[in-house]
Amino acid sequence: MTDLESLREKLGAAEPWVESRGTWWLNPGSTSVRQAAAIMNEAHARFITITAYQLAGSEGFRLEYHWDLEGRLLGLPFTIAGNAIDSIFDLSEAADWIEREIHEEYSLDFTGRVLEPLLLRQGDESGVNLREVTAARQAPTAQVAKEVAQ
Amino acid sequence: MSYRIPMGPYHPGLEEPYKLDMICEGETVQDAELNIGFNFRGIEHLAETRNYYQVIALMERVCGICSFIHTLTLCQAMEKLAGLEAPPRAKYIRVVMAELERLHSHVLWAGIAAKLMGFKTMFMTCFALREKVMDVLQAISGNRVNYSMNRVGGVNRDVEDPLALLPLIDELEREMVKTVIPIFTSSATAISRCAGIGVLTPEKAVSCAVVGPMARASGIDQDLRRDAPYAAYEEMKFEVPVQPAGDVKARLLVRALEILESCKILRQALTAMPLGEVSVGGDKFNFETGTATSRVEAPRGEVIYSVSWKAGSRNPARVHVRTPTYANMPAVRWMVRGARLADTPLIQASIDPCYSCTDR
Repeated sequence: MTDLESLREKLGAAEPWVESRGTWWLNPGSTSVRQAAAIMNEAHARFITITAYQLAGSEGFRLEYHWDLEGRLLGLPFTIAGNAIDSIFDLSEAADWIEREIHEEYSLDFTGRVLEPLLLRQGDESGVNLREVTAARQAPTAQVAKEVAQ
Repeated sequence: MSYRIPMGPYHPGLEEPYKLDMICEGETVQDAELNIGFNFRGIEHLAETRNYYQVIALMERVCGICSFIHTLTLCQAMEKLAGLEAPPRAKYIRVVMAELERLHSHVLWAGIAAKLMGFKTMFMTCFALREKVMDVLQAISGNRVNYSMNRVGGVNRDVEDPLALLPLIDELEREMVKTVIPIFTSSATAISRCAGIGVLTPEKAVSCAVVGPMARASGIDQDLRRDAPYAAYEEMKFEVPVQPAGDVKARLLVRALEILESCKILRQALTAMPLGEVSVGGDKFNFETGTATSRVEAPRGEVIYSVSWKAGSRNPARVHVRTPTYANMPAVRWMVRGARLADTPLIQASIDPCYSCTDR
């Protein structure tokens, strides 16, 4: 079984792997997502998915990349301040649809690849499913909280 | 001269909408482009607007066939956030339901594959078998689909007499061994339609990161029930069928052998089901702030849920679902390349696609 410690060294991460709720998490530090994807390919880890979270009160995002390594679920979170992150599609063919879907849901760009047409709603605008709806939902909630406080 | 053939969104063989645009040279497919999204329901967004009871009912409707698997994966993630563990009997019941659902899915798929081969007698035989599986699911849960079995902390209903279900498992296995497997593996009709077509090489299967029977039919030995066991799978003894050929016949064979393995698991789970309660945690839950991820080996392959919660909230902050067809579908482009146009409906069906799951 592949040693996670040697994988951490290859990834250049300073902090150790942390097991939480069945997932092995590693803070990638300054390692880029493309470097991480290349190292995971070398380790024969299977790409599973990316889960995107819009950070509260900012324009930033947290993207959790998941790989399977011999039955162990690995998670590498990448936080981005803006609206773009490098694509890993050329390194991991399996990331194709999920990158396109996240672009569609959050209007987040994966640089270095074509993201159009939209995967699920061709011809529509990107960002209307999860990003803008979430923002619109927060506003009335804050208003209600203010009214209750008064 | 090459020409474009659009297949779908009203599909000739499957009752779900998606579109495959194929570029053909004569009768040979040169390339293909996939179009999905015709079943898009915005379920991940809707999940953020549902409380911890409603979200289970919602996610059960991601898929009509794997409805139990979806709630199992969701509930396992929510249990991690609530600091709960389902009691042993509930874990066994979850195994029983998951394997019955696998039987249901595989037998249904075998029927559809038979129909696409022009083998209608086999279609009827498979659907008659499927009815028997659905009778058991109904006997346990009260429902033929959308079983409402899972809850946070266990299951909603007990299996009162597990041993009474054993004769049905025997009958199902007997029918599979006596009729379905021999016909699918030795009849000239099945072999001529399935062998050597829609090949997904092991290299391409790894590159596309395909999952479930599709991966196992391309020589990739992976199964979460064995590699990352959940529920009571650690206590079950079973084999993981793997076939190296990567063609439609290999996919058919893997699923047929998996039916026999499911029967083996069901016998163990029903015979050794421990006594005790079927749920813990009561009706009100306190979820910790954070994210929990859960994976389950669905009939079509790995389902993964990432669930994020804020403490004190009744609704999840985010529910992300990656379904097996979502992982498997892009590989169809490589499977139809070089195929005869007439074989493409069967090639597409051979991945056992679920567009309801894929689009969510």
